[in-house]
Amino acid sequence: MTLHFQPPSPDHVPADRIVDFDFFNIPEGVGDPTEIWHDLVRRGVPKIFYTPRNGGHWVFLDYADIVAGYRDYSIFSTYQAQIPNIEPFPVVQPQGVDPPAHNVFRRLLAPMFTPIAVRAMTDELQCRASKLIEELATRGECDFITDYAERFPTAMFLYLFGLPEARLDGFLALANVFFRSTDPDARASNITEIYAELDTLFREKEVNPANDIASAIVNARDEYGAQHDWTDILNCGFLLFVAGLDTVTNTMAYVWRYLATTPDARRQFRERLDDPDAFLRAIEELMRINAVSNLFRRVTHDCDYKGVQLRKNDRVILPNTVANRDPRVFSNPDMIDLDRQVNVHVTFGVGPHRCIGSLLAKREIMVSLQEWLRRIPEFELAPDQPKGAVFGGAVMGFTGLKLRWDTP
Amino acid sequence: MRVFANHDVCQGHARCEDICPAVFATDAVEGKVVIANPEVPAELEDKVRIAVRNCPEGALRISGGGGA
Repeated sequence: MTLHFQPPSPDHVPADRIVDFDFFNIPEGVGDPTEIWHDLVRRGVPKIFYTPRNGGHWVFLDYADIVAGYRDYSIFSTYQAQIPNIEPFPVVQPQGVDPPAHNVFRRLLAPMFTPIAVRAMTDELQCRASKLIEELATRGECDFITDYAERFPTAMFLYLFGLPEARLDGFLALANVFFRSTDPDARASNITEIYAELDTLFREKEVNPANDIASAIVNARDEYGAQHDWTDILNCGFLLFVAGLDTVTNTMAYVWRYLATTPDARRQFRERLDDPDAFLRAIEELMRINAVSNLFRRVTHDCDYKGVQLRKNDRVILPNTVANRDPRVFSNPDMIDLDRQVNVHVTFGVGPHRCIGSLLAKREIMVSLQEWLRRIPEFELAPDQPKGAVFGGAVMGFTGLKLRWDTP
Repeated sequence: MRVFANHDVCQGHARCEDICPAVFATDAVEGKVVIANPEVPAELEDKVRIAVRNCPEGALRISGGGGA
């Protein structure tokens, strides 16, 4: 739809590339927030378009352009790229910094999230997942979000960061304000609180280092042998908090929601419990189809991108869910094929900022599903789902998801 | 058939290792691909082809082996 009354779009944007689209707004009756994105493709809007909403920003819809947005940091920067614009937003390390400066914290974190490192966490993950699910199994029902999908990754975050388990409810409360509150005052004081927590934690780990991520960050040394800048240390802790919780929670919500409504998929996953390769292949397909993140980039300089005039500081949004259903890359893109052989989904991004925790995230989801299906092989959506429990934005998902099952 | 990796392009997704750990591993520092022996045994050629096609960065290349 062409707009006639919105705040004027910048004059470098031609009228035929303007679409009225608010990625926060999930219209009533839409049960799956990713549908607002797929609806754009069905409507045939330009594959590169501009919306005046949320401060005005570009949207890329082709896999190739989304991948270019990730890879070509000479045009598409992660520095101060928030939509809507929040300035100054913390320069989170390493996500908010372009290469080569980005390499400093990327290299610092990388060893803690390699396949070798994540394999070493598997016993801990399994133990925690089975304990949580065992408690739930006898109840016959739960709110999957608050009872599992938030608790599990947040508890694991505390463990990996070297924080005591007793802090779980406090951190869940902080995370909930951070991810869901729309009140600017609540948000501002929430960020202050999170930074105060991180400051206390890093100071403690400086004095009493242990085998955890916080200790590794605060005790790392730069090429001169000095500690990294304290603000960068805090911003790195902040990034891990922001990036590793809500994304996993909502991906899990999508996966369990799909399984609750698809008996055949439950059966297929159960049959794969003793075949880790086939199980992982099926997980990759659910990662493709349930990509919850929309990433932001900022244009570094006036330029022509495929015939479109981009101006310095223009914002661009890269919706992974759309890239993952591009018919030029995926055969039968809307079909869920748990044995898909070629699956180059971009759910964790690509290029230098590829989600550093992608292997941990996948392992958390895989272990959770294995432990769940062993104890709760059959489950369904409860009849009384909370109304309006969906949200859009940078991470899309659900605030509530009630499940029920028969207990012996 | 031989398989090669471009380490400047690899970003450590580890999809290749997931699909064919007999040929692909990852290092402990950056999590990037390590190919101990680029010579692919005949019985693993199909798996390696699939691993190569699943690299989201296009960091892997095959030579020889017929029709790859």
